[in-house]
Parts: sequence; C-alpha cells; structure tokens
Amino acid sequence: MSTPSTKAVPTGDKSKKTTTTTTVVKTTTTTTKQPQQKSLSTLAVGSKVKKPKTTASGKKVVNSHSNRLLSNNGLMRFSRGRMFQRRALYRISKWKDERAKLKGDKTKKTAGSIQKKKQRLSPLKKKSIGGERNGKERLVRTKRFPRYYPTEERPKKFSVKRKKFSTHPRRFRSSLTPGTVVILVAGKHAGKRVVVVKHLSSGLLLVTGPYKFNGAPLRRVNQIYVIATSTKLDLSAGKFDELDDKFFKRVRPAKKDAEKDIFDTKKEKPKLREERNQAQVNVDKVVVNAVKTHADSRLLRRYLKSRFQLWNGVLPHKLQF
Amino acid sequence: MTSSKKVEKPQGAYIKKGRLYVKAVFTGFRRGKRNQHENTALLKLDGVNTRRETNFYLGKRCAYVYKAKNKTLVPGQKRLNRVRIIWGKVTRAHGKSGGVRAKFRRNLPPKAIGRRIRVMLYPSRI
Repeated sequence: MSTPSTKAVPTGDKSKKTTTTTTVVKTTTTTTKQPQQKSLSTLAVGSKVKKPKTTASGKKVVNSHSNRLLSNNGLMRFSRGRMFQRRALYRISKWKDERAKLKGDKTKKTAGSIQKKKQRLSPLKKKSIGGERNGKERLVRTKRFPRYYPTEERPKKFSVKRKKFSTHPRRFRSSLTPGTVVILVAGKHAGKRVVVVKHLSSGLLLVTGPYKFNGAPLRRVNQIYVIATSTKLDLSAGKFDELDDKFFKRVRPAKKDAEKDIFDTKKEKPKLREERNQAQVNVDKVVVNAVKTHADSRLLRRYLKSRFQLWNGVLPHKLQF
Repeated sequence: MTSSKKVEKPQGAYIKKGRLYVKAVFTGFRRGKRNQHENTALLKLDGVNTRRETNFYLGKRCAYVYKAKNKTLVPGQKRLNRVRIIWGKVTRAHGKSGGVRAKFRRNLPPKAIGRRIRVMLYPSRI
C-alpha cells in the first residue's frame, strides 16, 4: 500500500498504517519466536516479509516501533496506547502475567453476576386473597412501583466506598521493629528504656520493660511517644498472636441497678485480669532470654534498668540514639 | 512476677525521673520593627545554633509552665496545684541561627519573655 508520506510503512509483523486511511492491516505473527524489539535488525531476522532498508526513492525506512516528537513541547506522534500496539508489548511475558491476573479477577465478577441473574424473580407473582367474592388469586407485582417520584434530584450522600478509619492502613516507622529497645518519652513510664514486642493493628506498639528490670508493664504505646534506639533484641523465639488490641482494651464493669449505685460512693479499683498478668510473665520470659543471649547482655540489663535523661550539655538533636 | 494479689514493684521502678525536655527561652513575639504579632512566639532553644539543627525540634510540643496564686486541678494529679501550663508546639525555624517559632493554644503572656519554656521530645519522629 503506497503512502503519501515519505516514511514507508514496514510490512513486518503486526504492522499498522500510519496514515489517515481507515483500513488497518493486521498480520498475525507466525514466524518471530522472540518478542518484538526495537531494533530493526531483530525484526528483519525473524519476519516473513523482509523490510526494505530504503524505500524506492532511496530514503531510509523508519522503524515502526519508534515514536517521534511532533512539537517542541513534548507532544508525541503516537499515544501511549498506540505505541503499545505498535511495539506489540502485549506479547511480552510481563504483560501476559498482568493480564492473567486481571482476567482472574474478572471471572470472579462474572461468576457472581451469573448467580445473580439466576436468582432474578419474575415481575409478577400470584397472591392469594381472602374473601368470598374477590377471586381467590391475583397477579401482583413482586416489586412495587415507588409511591413517590421526587421532582428534583436528591443531593448525593457520602459514597459508601469511603474507608472506615478502622480499616485504614497503619504505618510503622522503619526504626521500630519488634525487638527494638526504645525510650518512652511521655506518660507514666517516661524515661524508661523498654522493648518493642509487637506492632498492633490499631497502629500502636506493644511494649514491655521487662517488668523485672524497670517496672514497665506490657503496655500499648503510641509511636509518637517513643524514641527508637539502634539496639535490637531477637524476639523471634516468642509468639505473641493472642496479644492484640482486644486483649488490652479496657473492660468497663457492667452497669448495676440505679438504686444500688446512688449512695454507693466507693469506686472499685480496676484489677488487672489474670490473663494479662500471665501474658506479662510469658512475654518477659522471651525478652529476658533474648537479653541473656545477646552479645552485650550485662550491659543491656543495666541499660534497660536505667533511665534516659537530659542534662547539661546533652542535646537531643546531636544524640545518636 | 507471679499471679499473687500483692505485686511487689521491682527496685528498678523507683528510680527518679530526670529531665525529658529541652530548655528554651521565650525571646519575644514575631514582629517587624514596629508591629508585633502575639499569636506566634519566638523561642531560643538551648544548644541549637543553626537552622539545620532546628529540624529535630519541628513539631515538638512545648509548654510554658508557671505558678499562680489560686490552686487548680491538674490532669493526672489528685490534689489541687498552683502549677499551670500553656501548651503549644514548635511550628518552624526562625532565621538562620537556630531560633524557632512556636504557636501556643493561647498567646503567651508578655511577662513570660525571657522565661523558661520546655520543649518536649514528643511527637517523636525518630
């Protein structure tokens, strides 16, 4: 097919016309074993039709795989999608894998929609009606027509697709891996050096003294009240699966009768559940073991027992934690 | 630690707390020569002398602690206390030499100029 432009259309694999004519030439690839590549030479090697290196007029044949700038501002002659087709990128394995993935999801959808279709009810249904002279049955709509058609469009509510805060992804600082020794910087146990046990799904850290060393219990702590140090312990020996936010949630006592409570000014002190005490013991076993087996165990024990402080001349922005 | 009713605290629990804030001085309000804007306070942090060093302190909470005549409830304490606090936070650097701007929940009283402000180590980003 002759083209008005000087750039001849190569008739190699998967060639498409670059001019305004509507017919598109699609030739299925049969001979090329390798995925199509940019260079002219590889195309020429495997293709059925030999591409001429120069046109009849003697001008060089332009590669169909290349794009070119139309203007100085960066407008390209062929769009991204078009280039995808011209370079036949659908043949590379990476694209095929992605495609397979997408298709996998699609089949799930279609399966569901097929099920839905099967469950479709007929528009009319028979309903039995009482009374002698009413004709025993009547055909009634399964789904009634709405009894109100608003004249104006209702203002749209918040879309349901919005994620709840509880399902938002929680991120943890890369320095706060489980086993890291950490300095608590606020709260009742401020200044204590403490070990990170686990990341909780609510975004909090689970942390323990251990209790024997500094009196800091198994406790949840927000990341922002914590300074990570470079000291790490190996807590891989322990499994802390039962320790999650539910485990640590405060259990409010059930409401008593109103009569009993009015004159009862004593507030019962909340006692720690037995399982929490047990969990403390279990976790501390693992942590203390990790300290013992650490290279600097003696130093580490003293380190965890001591407090972090600032004093004259100590500047946190210059400290290496 | 066993599951007995009376739990003895280990010795390590009784060590006294030390200073966990950085000392700073309230040097004045943000101002030009003839106008001042009291909603932003200027702080000079101890030991911070260049703009680069202030990076650590950005976002940190700061507190102006003072005493008053009447006793009031302090959160976390059962007894009434004379101590009062105005909380704020470090917002940005101010100038080249380690000064810092801070905004407080209520504007600082001018009598606080030259007085101590505590810059906490939280919210920590390390």
